[in-house]
Amino acid sequence: MKVLGVSYGYHDSSAALVVDGRLVTAAAEERFTRQKHDAQFPQFAIEHCLKEGGLTAADVDRVVFHEDPHAKFSRVLATALAPFPASRLEFVQSMKAWLGRKLWSLDTLAARTGVAPEKVRYLGHHFSHAVQAFMGSGFDESAILIVDAVGDWACTALYKGRWENGRPIVERLFELGFPNSLGLVYSAFTAYCGFSPNDSECSTMALAAFGRPTYVDEVRKIVRAVDDGTYLVDQSHFHFANFYKGPWTQKFVDLFGPPRRPGHKLPFSSFGPAGEIDADSQRLADAAYAIQVVLEERVLALAQRLHREVPSKNLCYAGGVSLNCVANARLVREGPFQNVHIPPDPGDGGTCVGTALYVDAAEGSATPDATRYGPYVGSRHDIAREVPMLDHVKPEHVRRYLKRGLANERDFTIRHNTFTEESSLIDEVSKRIAEGQIVGWFQGRGELGPRALGHRSILIRPDDVALARRLSRDVKDRAAFRPYALAMSTDAAPRLLDVPLEKLGGLRWMQVAAHVREEMRDRVRAGLHVDGSTRPQVCGPEDDPRFHALLEAYGRRSGLASLINTSFNPSGYPIVQSPVEAIVMFLRTGMDALVLGETVVWKHG
Amino acid sequence: MLRDFLERTRVRFAVRFRWTSRPVVAEAVRGFSATEADGVWHLQRGMARLTDDRQRAIMLTHCLEEECHAEAFALTYGEYADRPLTPAAYERRDLYPPDAPPWKTFAFVHVGEEEATSRFRYLAEALDDGPLKRVLSDVVRDEEGHIDLTRRMLVRLGASDEQVTRELVRVRLVRAWEAWMRNGRQIIDHVATAMLSGLYFLLGPLVARTARRRLEDPLVRYDNNAVKSLTP
Repeated sequence: MKVLGVSYGYHDSSAALVVDGRLVTAAAEERFTRQKHDAQFPQFAIEHCLKEGGLTAADVDRVVFHEDPHAKFSRVLATALAPFPASRLEFVQSMKAWLGRKLWSLDTLAARTGVAPEKVRYLGHHFSHAVQAFMGSGFDESAILIVDAVGDWACTALYKGRWENGRPIVERLFELGFPNSLGLVYSAFTAYCGFSPNDSECSTMALAAFGRPTYVDEVRKIVRAVDDGTYLVDQSHFHFANFYKGPWTQKFVDLFGPPRRPGHKLPFSSFGPAGEIDADSQRLADAAYAIQVVLEERVLALAQRLHREVPSKNLCYAGGVSLNCVANARLVREGPFQNVHIPPDPGDGGTCVGTALYVDAAEGSATPDATRYGPYVGSRHDIAREVPMLDHVKPEHVRRYLKRGLANERDFTIRHNTFTEESSLIDEVSKRIAEGQIVGWFQGRGELGPRALGHRSILIRPDDVALARRLSRDVKDRAAFRPYALAMSTDAAPRLLDVPLEKLGGLRWMQVAAHVREEMRDRVRAGLHVDGSTRPQVCGPEDDPRFHALLEAYGRRSGLASLINTSFNPSGYPIVQSPVEAIVMFLRTGMDALVLGETVVWKHG
Repeated sequence: MLRDFLERTRVRFAVRFRWTSRPVVAEAVRGFSATEADGVWHLQRGMARLTDDRQRAIMLTHCLEEECHAEAFALTYGEYADRPLTPAAYERRDLYPPDAPPWKTFAFVHVGEEEATSRFRYLAEALDDGPLKRVLSDVVRDEEGHIDLTRRMLVRLGASDEQVTRELVRVRLVRAWEAWMRNGRQIIDHVATAMLSGLYFLLGPLVARTARRRLEDPLVRYDNNAVKSLTP
């Protein structure tokens, strides 16, 4: 059976192809359109899936959509009408989008893919997340926890899943409805701290590390715990229905003070003290701290309630909130489950994978797949084609268009060398990293999900804070309070992390934060947050042989097989997809070298 | 000439009467940044269809330049905005089918450059001194070079003068038609706003109470957890 999974309409449109139980490919539309979190119909992602599978639309047996547009419409309608007569603008805006486009998503899907309407299937939004979490977990049975902003009506949901006679069974236990949403509350605090909601929640999480417990009790009252392990949100602090008024009410401002001013620079640094902290900045950090702590408590309580209902060893966890690696760490550390699985892309963008796997298995595939899939399922490119072009690029032209703030008087030529021996390539790259170069690393198929995991990465040595500051300033435009993450080989992980590798289980793709051992912190200082934690990618030869070899080669030079691994993207753009995008970023920014497959490109001089 | 006069008047009118607050200017600047980024996207799609490495290198440099402009506008946005820059949401589509000759893409790029350059020039003229005027002046200087470059690319990629002239006319007509359609959609949008506002005041009193009660119930009571089919 050939199943195309599709998600689109709110954010992170994407498509996935499953053939006879096997995930062939999955990719986010943003990687093709260069628009972060692109919500448009995933035309290019679908074309990519069909091309990768060698299929035409006529060959596809099922197209699966990740939500029920009619159920979602009923929620949107109720939300727009409930504040009557104060919600005319919201009603008009919502209805234009829904009556004009979104309500007909399923018909659009059939028409634009060219697949017959009788082949189109759809699932409720949280059910999609549930099967996304369970399919590909590798578990025979599991409890399933879904926490996100909002789907159709639900915001948080509990399920249990099992395999029975070779078919997956996923059953609902409980759903908490809109507007009681941990995800929306966290996004409101994100906007309050001056970051883009639905995009920069990671900044709120990073800022929380600098906060103090000033507001925790207040936020506990706002997101009130209920005896059954769930929670209720005090709506008097938010405008979830009247979105034109902004996400928070005056009562919220009275409690926490005014939101962050435009242009207000936060004076925190993940590398340690960065100067005097003004009262406004500290107040914002305290608010971030409070929502982070309360989010962790509520997720933990939900997990405990779920465990009482489903006393399994296993937990599958998805939804946008499961991207919060600090909360995930607490769930792993203090939660009642022995094994926790979070898919590579647990947000809306990854639902296309789970739903395609589920429909394939549920509707009669002869070979349903219960095994775990990895993140390297994106698009692949002909790298060799791009290299000869570099001989014709004139450095004086490049120097005219460097990233803003980068000194353009440096005279350089662009050189490249293609290695036929894998070991020579790895040796050359590890040498450059050890010398303190900023290296772009572009290999094979792109990653599924928001994290670069050694296929579209920028790498530097982890002990050089000045180098990390240069990376933030000259390449990434990254705020100083946001920490970098560490990639490490499986052998290096027990030396570095103070959490046993078996406790992390399959969470090796930066899904959880972990503290680095006190005695090792100086050796990886540039990859740590201010509290000594990092988001580890633990890479073995079975995960990615070439990246693992690079880590090991660097380990032989430095004594520790670990590198800073950050995503290969300019600020405000998604992770690069094609070699040309990688070359453009390499040329414009302060990167020193770029590795495209077997070719090393560098700025000489 | 007439077209230039109308465009210049339109831009002056917009600056004088519509760009009256910083958020409005910020939104326009966000649009400029997105337009430049859109140009990079089209250039890269066009590049993928070229086989000559020298030509591809020229287009790569062109991409660097457009990306530089997108960045300059994004930074300028910060001078006017009261909220963080959110990603653009253009509907991307290829300008030509895959089997069309590669030079046709650059016909579209060429006309786009021409139109953007004149709009930016008129804006720079109409604006008072400030960060946006400075950025626009820089961008116009670069873009004027692009117009020649893309015109030359059309010929280098194998199009005859006659083909170029014919295609440029066609592209201008297509873009004029799209602009006309955009205006039409705006009119429809105003009509829709009026109709939906009427519907709101008709429907609201009848169902607001039910909607409120529904939102007050914390539980989702119906089970929407099954695979459903579009057709019965």
